[in-house]
Amino acid sequence: MSLTQGTSTSTRAAAVVAPGELRADPDKRGRARESRRQVKSTKSSKTMFLLILPFLILVFLFSYLPLAGWVTSFYDYRPALGMSGSEFVGLQWFEMLVSSPTQLRQIGQVLTNTLAMSFLGFATSLLPVFFAMLLNEIRAPWFRNSVQTLTTLPNFISWVLVYMIAFSLFSTTGLVNSVLHDWGIITAPIKFLDTDQHVWLTMLLWSLWKGLGWGAILYLAAITAIDPALYESARIDGAGRFQIMRYITFPQLMPTYVVLLVLSIANMLNNGMEQFYVFQNAFNKEYIQVLDLYVYNIGITGNSLSMATAIGMLKSLISVLLLVAANAVAKRARGTSII
Amino acid sequence: MKSRKVATILVAPLLGALSLTACTGPGSDDEPATPVSIDQDWSEADPITVDVFDGLANYMGIQGGWFGEIVKEKFNMELNIIAPNVAGGGDTLYNTRVSGGDLGDLIVADKGQQMDELIAGGLLLDAQAYYGSMENVTPYDDAVAKLNEDKDGVYGFPTAVSSLKPTEPSEGLDPTFGPYLRWDLFAEVGYPEITTLEDLLPVLQEMQDAQPEGENGQKAYAISLFGDWDGNMMVTAKQPATLYGYDELGFVLARADGSDYQSIIDSDSEYVRALKFYFEANQMGLVDPESTTQNYDTMFSKYQNGQVLLSWWPWLGQSAFNTEERMAEGKGFELVPMQDQQIFSYGAEVYGGKQFLGIGSGAEDPARLAAFIDWLYSPEGVMANSSQTMGSAGPEGLTWELGDDGEPALTDFGRQVFLEGGADVPAEWGGGDYADGVSALNVSTVLPKDVNPEIGFPYSYTYWPSYQETVANPLTEDWSARMGGATTTVEFLEANDQVIVAPGSSYTAPADTSEVEANRNQAKASIIEHSWKMVFAKNEDEFDKLLTSMQETANGLGYETVLEFDMANAEAQNESREAVAAEFG
Amino acid sequence: MTTESTAEVKTTRARKPPSMQRTRGDVPFAIVNYGGFLLMALLCAYPFYYLIINSISANDASALGDVRLFPQGFHLSNYQQILGLDGLTSAAIVSVARTIIGTVCTVLASAFLGFMFTQERMWARSLWYRLMIFTMYFSAGLIPMYITMKTLGLTNSFWVYIIPVIVQPFNIILVKTYVESMPRSLQEAAEIDGASTFRIFFRIILPNMTPILATVAIFTAVAQWNSFQDTLLFITDQKLYSLQYLLYTYTNQASSLAQAAQNAQGNLGSIVSAATSQTPTSIRMTVAVLVVLPIIFIYPLFQKYFVKGIMLGAVKG
Repeated sequence: MSLTQGTSTSTRAAAVVAPGELRADPDKRGRARESRRQVKSTKSSKTMFLLILPFLILVFLFSYLPLAGWVTSFYDYRPALGMSGSEFVGLQWFEMLVSSPTQLRQIGQVLTNTLAMSFLGFATSLLPVFFAMLLNEIRAPWFRNSVQTLTTLPNFISWVLVYMIAFSLFSTTGLVNSVLHDWGIITAPIKFLDTDQHVWLTMLLWSLWKGLGWGAILYLAAITAIDPALYESARIDGAGRFQIMRYITFPQLMPTYVVLLVLSIANMLNNGMEQFYVFQNAFNKEYIQVLDLYVYNIGITGNSLSMATAIGMLKSLISVLLLVAANAVAKRARGTSII
Repeated sequence: MKSRKVATILVAPLLGALSLTACTGPGSDDEPATPVSIDQDWSEADPITVDVFDGLANYMGIQGGWFGEIVKEKFNMELNIIAPNVAGGGDTLYNTRVSGGDLGDLIVADKGQQMDELIAGGLLLDAQAYYGSMENVTPYDDAVAKLNEDKDGVYGFPTAVSSLKPTEPSEGLDPTFGPYLRWDLFAEVGYPEITTLEDLLPVLQEMQDAQPEGENGQKAYAISLFGDWDGNMMVTAKQPATLYGYDELGFVLARADGSDYQSIIDSDSEYVRALKFYFEANQMGLVDPESTTQNYDTMFSKYQNGQVLLSWWPWLGQSAFNTEERMAEGKGFELVPMQDQQIFSYGAEVYGGKQFLGIGSGAEDPARLAAFIDWLYSPEGVMANSSQTMGSAGPEGLTWELGDDGEPALTDFGRQVFLEGGADVPAEWGGGDYADGVSALNVSTVLPKDVNPEIGFPYSYTYWPSYQETVANPLTEDWSARMGGATTTVEFLEANDQVIVAPGSSYTAPADTSEVEANRNQAKASIIEHSWKMVFAKNEDEFDKLLTSMQETANGLGYETVLEFDMANAEAQNESREAVAAEFG
Repeated sequence: MTTESTAEVKTTRARKPPSMQRTRGDVPFAIVNYGGFLLMALLCAYPFYYLIINSISANDASALGDVRLFPQGFHLSNYQQILGLDGLTSAAIVSVARTIIGTVCTVLASAFLGFMFTQERMWARSLWYRLMIFTMYFSAGLIPMYITMKTLGLTNSFWVYIIPVIVQPFNIILVKTYVESMPRSLQEAAEIDGASTFRIFFRIILPNMTPILATVAIFTAVAQWNSFQDTLLFITDQKLYSLQYLLYTYTNQASSLAQAAQNAQGNLGSIVSAATSQTPTSIRMTVAVLVVLPIIFIYPLFQKYFVKGIMLGAVKG
C-alpha cells in the first residue's frame, strides 16, 4: 500500500520540479550558496535541532542509557545478587586477557586472523561496486531483475545451513570429491573442509558469495542518483562504454563507497563469529579463529557476564577510535568528512 | 562538571535497576513461619496460570493434553512453561529474568551456586510454612533437609530422589556407557573373545570387512566420531575411560571408588590411551574420515543407516538402529563384554539429582504451588509426570492397569503409545496425541527405577516383567543366551562384576572461580584441538609430537591451576560418596 | 500497480539509458557479461534449491548430505509439522505487522534525519550526528537492554519491535550521503521562496530519493522480518511472538529433544520411521525455505524503484 503511494508522490513531484532545477549547474553553486547564507540567518538553527530532538531522545534512551551497564565490567556481576551483592574486581577482567605468554601467543594468532580477514574484506570491497556497474549494463530488465533477486538469496541463508550445504558438496564423500574421483582426476579425496591450507581464502570466498549480491544493492541505488547530464556530455565527447564506466559511473559511486569503507574499517575487529564457528574444526582452527570466535570459544561470554561486558566495552572503544582515525584519513584524502 | 551531574541523574535509575534484586533481598523476617495447611480441594479454587521457569523443559508454552487436563482438574491451574532450552540464547533468559527480579512462580533450576544466588537475591520463597503438610514429600525428608542445609528455610525440593541404596546403579536396564557393537556382525565373525580395549580393533576390522557398506549402499566404518559435544575434552575419547570405571570431573578422570585420579593429558592416562586407540583404528582404516567435519545429526543418520558398527552409548546405537524389524532379524547393537572392563555406573541419588524445584517469591498463590509440588511426589504424580525419556508410564487406567495377578501391565492403548508409535488420547482424558500431552516439566521427582509403594513394582513400565516379555526378540534372545541367560545388560554386568558404582551422593562441584574458568576455557580449547589432530595423525611420530605439544600448550594456558581445583573437587566428591555409602549403603 | 509497472518496463526498453548505447566490442562484452551473471545467479540460487529439495526429501538421506540434485523419498511431513504449529497464524500476523509498521517508521525517520543532518545551519549538527553514529559500534549487553526496556514499560509490548529501532544510524548515513549527492539548487530555490523545512523535506527532497529509500526499506524490512532476538529478550506473551521466533524455538525444541536422548536411560520405546522423523537439520531447512520465500516474492516489487532513478534521469536528459 505504501509502495503505491510512494510511486504517485514521486511522479507528481517529478512533474512539479522543473528539469533544470533538479540537477545542479556547477557554476550556479557559488551564487546559490551565498543566498543560502542569508536564509540561514533568518531561520533559527535551534528550531532545526528541536525537530530532531525526539529522535535524539530515542538514541539516548536505547543506546546511551544502557551503557550504564558497562559499570558491571569492573564487578563480578551476578544478576541474582544485583550490583550491591556482586564483588568489585577492578580491572581483573582486562588483565586476565593478557596473563600468560602462551595466551599472548594465541591472541597474537587470533589478531592476525582477524586483521587478515578484515583486510581481505577491504581488498575485495570494490567487488560490489563492479557488480553493480556491470549489472547496470545488462539490458534485459527481466534478466537484470532475476539476477539481482537470485544473487541476494545467499544472504538469507544462515551460516549453519551454508555449512550443511558445504558439507554435502565438499566433504570427503561429497559431490565434488565423488565427481573428481569418478572422472579419475583424483584417487584420494581432497580435504576441503578440514585442512589448514588456504583457510583465509576459502573463508573470503564464502563470505563474498554470501554477501556480494546483497552488498551491491546500495550501489545499484547509488547509480540511479547519478546525474544523466554527465552521461550525456560524456557521450557527446565520444566516450565509449568502458570510458563512461571508468570516468563517470565509478567516480560517482565513490562517496558511497568511501562511507561504507570507513564504517567497515571501524568494524575491523568485529568479523562476526557465525561463519567461522560453523566452519571451524581442529585442523583449521589455528587460522580460522578470529576475535569474536575466540571470545566465544574460550567461553568467557558463557558464564561471566562481566568479562563479556569488558570485552564488549573494549571493542566499542576501539571501534570508535578506528572510526575517528579512518574518517581523518578519508578527510585528508578526499576532502570530505564522513562523520 | 554540570554535564556529569546530569548524566549521573539520568543514569541513576538504570543502575538502581541493576541492583534492584539485591535491595529486595531475602525476606529475612526472623519470626517463625506459621504453618499453613495445603490440604484443601484446589479444584474449586479460582483458576490461575502460573509461569514455570523450567531448566529441563523441552517445550515452551501452555501445558496441554492429558497432563494439562489432570493438573487443571486437580488444581484448576494452567502451567505456562518457560523453557530456556527452547527459548535459546543460553543463559540469556535466566539472566535477564533474574535481573528483572522475577524468575517464575514455579522454578526448576540447578542446585549449588544457582540455588544459593536465587535465595540470596530473594527470588525463592521459603516454603517452611507449607512443608509440614506436604505429606508426599515426607518419605524424602532426608533429601529435602540435605538440599536446604545451612539455608534457614525450605527453599527447594530435590528431584530424582531415590530410596534405593546409593551403591546400586541408578540405571535400570542398560548402563549409561558401554562397548556396544553390532551384535549380528559380531556373531558373523564368530563371537571372538575380547580381553581389553585394544582387542576391539582386530574384531572391528573383521566386522567392517564383513559388512563394508551400510543399508543405503554407502561406505560403512567401524567408528564414526563427532565434535559438537566436546566440552572439557574430546567427548568421544572420554568414553573408553568410562569402561574402566572413570568419569570426568573437569580435567580429572576420577575412578568411581576413589582409587585413582588421572590428569587427562598425562601420557599414561585413559584419555590418551583412547586417543591412541582411535589413532590406531584410523591407521587401520576403521575411522570414518568425515568424523572431523560432521555433526551429531549427520553421525546419527549414519547409525540409522547401519554405516557405523561401534557405539559407546546404548542410547546412541540402539535408539538409532535397533528398530523392531531389524531386531526381529537379529540385527542391532548390544553390549559386548571386554574381560577387563568395569563400567562406570551412577549410583542412585538418595539426595536427589542436579536440579531442584522451588516456588518463586512473587508467586500469587504459593500454597497451591506447594500442593502441586507435593502431588508431584505422590505415586500418582510420579506415574503421570516423570519424564518420558525415563520411561514414564502415564496415568493409571489410560496406559496401564493392574492385572488380576496384581502385576501392572500396559493396556492396549499403552502398547500403541509406547511400542507402535503413538495414539490419540480419548476425549475424556483430554484428547490430542498422547505424546503431545506428556508432562512438559520433564523433571522426575522420584527415580523411575524406585518401587511404587502402591503397586509394588517400579514406576517405570520398562522394568515390569510383563513389559520385558513383550519386547523379547531374536536379537535379545541370542544375546541373552551368550550372556549366561542375563535378561538385562545391568544384570549381566552385576553378575560378572563388570560394573563399578559411584555412590550417588548428589555432590555438586563448586562453581569455577573466574580465574579457573578463564584458564579452563582456554586450556580445553587447546586440548580438544590437539586431541583431534592426534587421532588423525599421519604416524606414530606425529602422534607423540602432538601429545607433547598438547601438554606444553595446555600447561602454558594455566592447566595446572585448573587441575588443582578439579583434583580437590574430585577428592571432595569421593569423600561425599564414601560418606553416603557408609550411611545408607 | 500492475499496469503501472508494465508501462514502466516498456518505457525503459524504449529509452535506452545513456550508458547502454551500442559501441564497439558490444557483442563480446554482452556475452561475457550475461554469461558471468548467469553463472553467478546459478551459484547463488543453488543453495536455496538445495534447501527446497532437502526439505521435501527423506530426512535421513538428507542428513547424510546425499540429496543434491533431485529430491529423494519425497514427503511433505516437515511442512505439515511446521504449518500445523500452534500459534503460527498469530505469529505470522505479528511478523507482517512489525515488518510493515517498522519499515514505514524507520524509512520515514531515516529519510527525515538523513536530510536534517545535511542542514549545516542546525545547532551543533556534527555533534549530534557523531553521537548517533557512534552508537553503531556500542553494545551495552543484554541485561542493561532488558532493564531499560522493562523500565520503559516496553517488555511484553508490540512497540518493543518498533520504537527502539526507529533510529538506524547506518540508514541515516546512507540517506545523508545520497542527499548530499543531490543538486543543492533544489533546496536553495525552495528556501528562497520561503518554504519551511518540513515543506522542503516532504515536497522536494523526499520524492527525489526513492531509490535510496527503497534500499533502506529493503534493509529494514528484511531485518524486521528476520529478527527474533528481541522476542527472545523482551517478550514472554505468546500472542506477541514473531514468526521467526516461533520457528526458532521450534528448531531449538528439536535439538534439545535430540540431546535429551543423551539423558535417556534404558529402553527408549519404539522408534518412528527414520525417513520422516524430524531432525534439527530438516526443521532448520524447512524453516529457512518458509522464511525466505516471502522475501523472494516481495523483493522484486522494490526493484522497480531502482529503475526509477534512471527513468527520471532519462526523461530529464
